[in-house]
Amino acid sequence: MRLYNIKLLTITCEIMAQNFVKDILKKHKITGYTSYEVGGLGDRGIRGQGLPEEKNVKIEIVLTNESAEKVVEEISRTLFADYAIILYLSDVQVARPEQFT
Amino acid sequence: MDILAIVQANVLTPIVLFFILGVIAARIKSDLRIPDAISSILPIYLLAAIGLHGGIEMRKTGFESMVIPMIAAIVLSIIMTLYHYQILRKIGKFNIFDSYALASTYGAVGAVTFSVGLSFLRSQSISSEGYLAAILAVLEPISFILSIFLVNSAAVKNIQKKREQLLSEKELQKKSSSTDILKDHPKQEVATEHKKAEHNHTFTTSKEVDELQKSVTTKSNMLEVLHETITGKAIVILLGSIVIGYVIGEHGFESIKIVFDDLFFGALVIFLLEMGVVAGQRLSDIRKVGLFLIIFALVIPTLNGTIGVVTFTYLGLSTGGAVLFGTLMASASFIAAPAIFRTAIPKANPSLYLTSALGITFPYIVIVLLPVLLILSTTLHGGTI
Repeated sequence: MRLYNIKLLTITCEIMAQNFVKDILKKHKITGYTSYEVGGLGDRGIRGQGLPEEKNVKIEIVLTNESAEKVVEEISRTLFADYAIILYLSDVQVARPEQFT
Repeated sequence: MDILAIVQANVLTPIVLFFILGVIAARIKSDLRIPDAISSILPIYLLAAIGLHGGIEMRKTGFESMVIPMIAAIVLSIIMTLYHYQILRKIGKFNIFDSYALASTYGAVGAVTFSVGLSFLRSQSISSEGYLAAILAVLEPISFILSIFLVNSAAVKNIQKKREQLLSEKELQKKSSSTDILKDHPKQEVATEHKKAEHNHTFTTSKEVDELQKSVTTKSNMLEVLHETITGKAIVILLGSIVIGYVIGEHGFESIKIVFDDLFFGALVIFLLEMGVVAGQRLSDIRKVGLFLIIFALVIPTLNGTIGVVTFTYLGLSTGGAVLFGTLMASASFIAAPAIFRTAIPKANPSLYLTSALGITFPYIVIVLLPVLLILSTTLHGGTI
């Protein structure tokens, strides 16, 4: 089976920032993502314990390199200053590249 | 009952003891936790129970008696938020975002604190006016909306000021450069240096403006904030339950009494265990909030609680009603506030308002202030303690 190169953008952020991230994805016409609640340790101490607002979410988006650049640019410009966010981009392969924008 | 007995009766209740157990569990790093699903249903359940009771009581007493206390509570809540801000900004030297978030956290009401107040009164066999639940629901969004509105308008004003500054600076630069030409300054190098500095300066100022602008545009739409605050789960379940309680009345309540009446204090105990764990996890952060905020978190609730008891005694409320109003005025919001401010005032530091409200003020009200307010209210009502 033939596989095509594409990007995977992984964003881990505090739960209160997730709607802003999703708004940005929508703005750049990203049609799909997967998100789940996670815990972990970082600059802001142990996350995922305590109040519901102090949880983290991990959002995974498969997208083209161009979209990834735009999304990452907007997230770093508008959200990095105020919210706990880390993100990274990796190379993945998919069977149906036409599914992803 | 003497003062010591009241204090003892308040401290040695299941609610306080389980809260302390939670704090201890967190401190000794026990894995004791209430499962997520249960800790998220408990506030909904508690608010539903409070709302149902309130609705049933309102049906008995009618709406007229609650109008004046409600207006008084709204006015007090607004005044308190405003003077908290002045204290925090002027004396505490907090930045504008932290000042407004903290001012509003303390100007808002805490539903959990209110529940504990209810159970405290019940343990002393003191009754209170049922419409207080409705006032809780109305007060909840007021302080938040006020603060978010003020923080936005302050930021907008700041942006304008910075812009004007920028413009006048540019004009000055134009003038000075034209005089430079007139003088025919020989040192080209100095001029370029000067220009570079100017450029840098303009750059940083416009960057600041950008930053400020961002803090406004992230959520400047007041309608959106209003919608989010009013449609938040706390308000919807509380108001909804009040209406349902009003409609079903005492007769209809019989069938669900076992869940919403008999289980209420047991459920509150479990929730307080959870709150104890969360507060315990934050205890080490208390040092980070600074001495000023620690004092603020103790003095302001005492002052507001006293104002509440005195005002509502004067307005003709019962001993228990005045205590509950005092508790409402004293309480700080730590369930609703963090969820709203984290998105509406993202530049405010959440660990400040969370730690002070949950780690300092809540235990202080539950353990110390409630009995004090009861003693005050009893004395004002001419009763003996």
